[in-house]
Amino acid sequence: MQAIRVQKTGGPEVLELVDLPTPSAKADHALVKVSAAGVNSIDAQFRDGRLHTPLPFIPGQEGSGVVTAVGPQAKVVKVGDRVAWSGTLGSYAEYVVVPEEHLVPVPVSITDEQAAAAMVHGLTAHYLVSDAHKLKPGETALVHSAAGGVGLLLVQMARAIGAHVIATTSSDEKAQLAREAGADEVIVFTRQDFEPEVKRVTGGQGVDVVYDGVGKATFEKNLNVMRRRGMLVLYGMSSGAVPPVDPAKLSEKGSLYMARTTLAHFTATREELLARTSALFAMIADGKLKLRIARKYPLREAALAHRDMEARRVSGKLLLLP
Amino acid sequence: MKAIQVKQAGGPEALELVDLPIPEPKANEAVVKLAASGVNFIDVYFREGRYKAPMPFVLGQEGAGVVTAVGSAVNSVQNGDRVAWTGLLGSYAEYSAVPADRLVPVPAGVSDQQAAATMLQGMTAHYLSHDTYPLKRGETALVHAAAGGVGLLLVQMAHNIGARVIGTVSTEEKARLARAAGADEIIPYTQTDFEAETKRLTGGKGVDVVYDSVGKTTFEKGLNILRPRGMMVLFGGSSGAVPPFDLIALSQKGSLYVTRPTLAHYIATREELMVRSGAVFGMIAQGKLKLRIEHTYPLSEAQQAHRDLEGRKTTGKLLLIP
Repeated sequence: MQAIRVQKTGGPEVLELVDLPTPSAKADHALVKVSAAGVNSIDAQFRDGRLHTPLPFIPGQEGSGVVTAVGPQAKVVKVGDRVAWSGTLGSYAEYVVVPEEHLVPVPVSITDEQAAAAMVHGLTAHYLVSDAHKLKPGETALVHSAAGGVGLLLVQMARAIGAHVIATTSSDEKAQLAREAGADEVIVFTRQDFEPEVKRVTGGQGVDVVYDGVGKATFEKNLNVMRRRGMLVLYGMSSGAVPPVDPAKLSEKGSLYMARTTLAHFTATREELLARTSALFAMIADGKLKLRIARKYPLREAALAHRDMEARRVSGKLLLLP
Repeated sequence: MKAIQVKQAGGPEALELVDLPIPEPKANEAVVKLAASGVNFIDVYFREGRYKAPMPFVLGQEGAGVVTAVGSAVNSVQNGDRVAWTGLLGSYAEYSAVPADRLVPVPAGVSDQQAAATMLQGMTAHYLSHDTYPLKRGETALVHAAAGGVGLLLVQMAHNIGARVIGTVSTEEKARLARAAGADEIIPYTQTDFEAETKRLTGGKGVDVVYDSVGKTTFEKGLNILRPRGMMVLFGGSSGAVPPFDLIALSQKGSLYVTRPTLAHYIATREELMVRSGAVFGMIAQGKLKLRIEHTYPLSEAQQAHRDLEGRKTTGKLLLIP
């Protein structure tokens, strides 16, 4: 089968197209013929070695496809099932073996591309507003990178809940996307300091919650724009890791709450995973959640996809189609 | 009037008994004739200069008594009212002028000494268990220093809510007190590693919340005993301040929440102050919250009170009676 393989860590150029034997499904795993693989920033972290996994490896954490074989202990999926997954490495390939507990059914009302595009970003947005900080109608949320993969979904979900959304983006084009997604206020942070602007827009009160996937570049200011006892949910670090935090700051700035979250802890049981994916796919099928698939690449152009992603040229999801 | 003043930072000897004029209330203040003043560790921090106040100042942050004069703009209290307050310096005295919006009524079923003994620690235990992490029946809380001032009140409140309480203590005597307050399990942390023991007691699952007033020596291990998405509530630092911590650890250990609350942010509005003090006084009047007043001292023995407090042999509240 064709696959993208990383032999040594490095820049996008280490993503090589190779021919490999098709893997086989053992135990309670399933072999899936990949229809679409989602590209995520975590893929770049594995590719360049910031996150560790034994070499060589096939990158890609997210995809959709059809089950073509199951291992002897598989119980919940069968050959022919349309499935999607996140959290298992190897989707940048024609076939991938996935533990069946990570596979979720894809309803007929969703395309393979929608499913692959929605898993990581959609589940992330869903857990952020439903559980990490359960957003309530009337609350005000600050969403950074609002035109990013998670951002656009987060803005839509927050508005659907009835919260007010203040969004930050890096350009006017992205600001327009954030507005179309429903943001009430958009701050182009390359032109305007979001701290005084958020304070102005909230009448000095601050926001109830900040959903931040940026990390280092926004951390300090985030602490200054929250209301007393507000919540900062850090779900990513696209600008780099936040340096160690002095807890005294949290009390000083208003007895703030902070969480540093990862998707795995919000899809830890199959029950939770299925509940989230059902909710997510239903929103997409109903047209209530719009996915923006920015660009689709053939598998062999994985390196280009990574270059585009890292240059932040694209707003929306990138897919690889084997 | 007699008062205890600090003219320069130092040990207990920095507490001087002085004669001062009885204060006159400003327009928004009332003057209270004190029946009792609570002695708290925060008094030690002010006395030592760890927390700053312009010198000379009258020490003490917690008091109860009767209103004897009101300022021209005050409508919420009148002469003769029984009141209590916390959070403002000046209670180690026969009289204190207090902003009227910080005074709460003391109901008939609560004595002056009980009021002075619970404003600070009682409201702290209340906000921790009812707001910072609102405990639910069946949840498990770990309470450090379970026989401390806040500890014994927090254990009782958690127990009354129906939570399972694991308390850590340093002596057999304190273990006895914590059990009597309702702790289900006691870990003598000087003999037993509380991390290993808590894991054992929770079947490896971890606790829902850690209430930590100890800080430096307990924080890291506390993160290891939380269930996924559990909360670390750091509300003090008796063993020292917690140094800056790495956020990635929070995500790796279970997408944990951290907060470092202070009482002021939980009684910031008059409404909140009234509700919270009312709840605590209600618990006392109904016999649901038991207090231990260890010792009362005349104002002239404030130095001894501080020596006794710092000696860490006391397990109940210390009061100054002017």
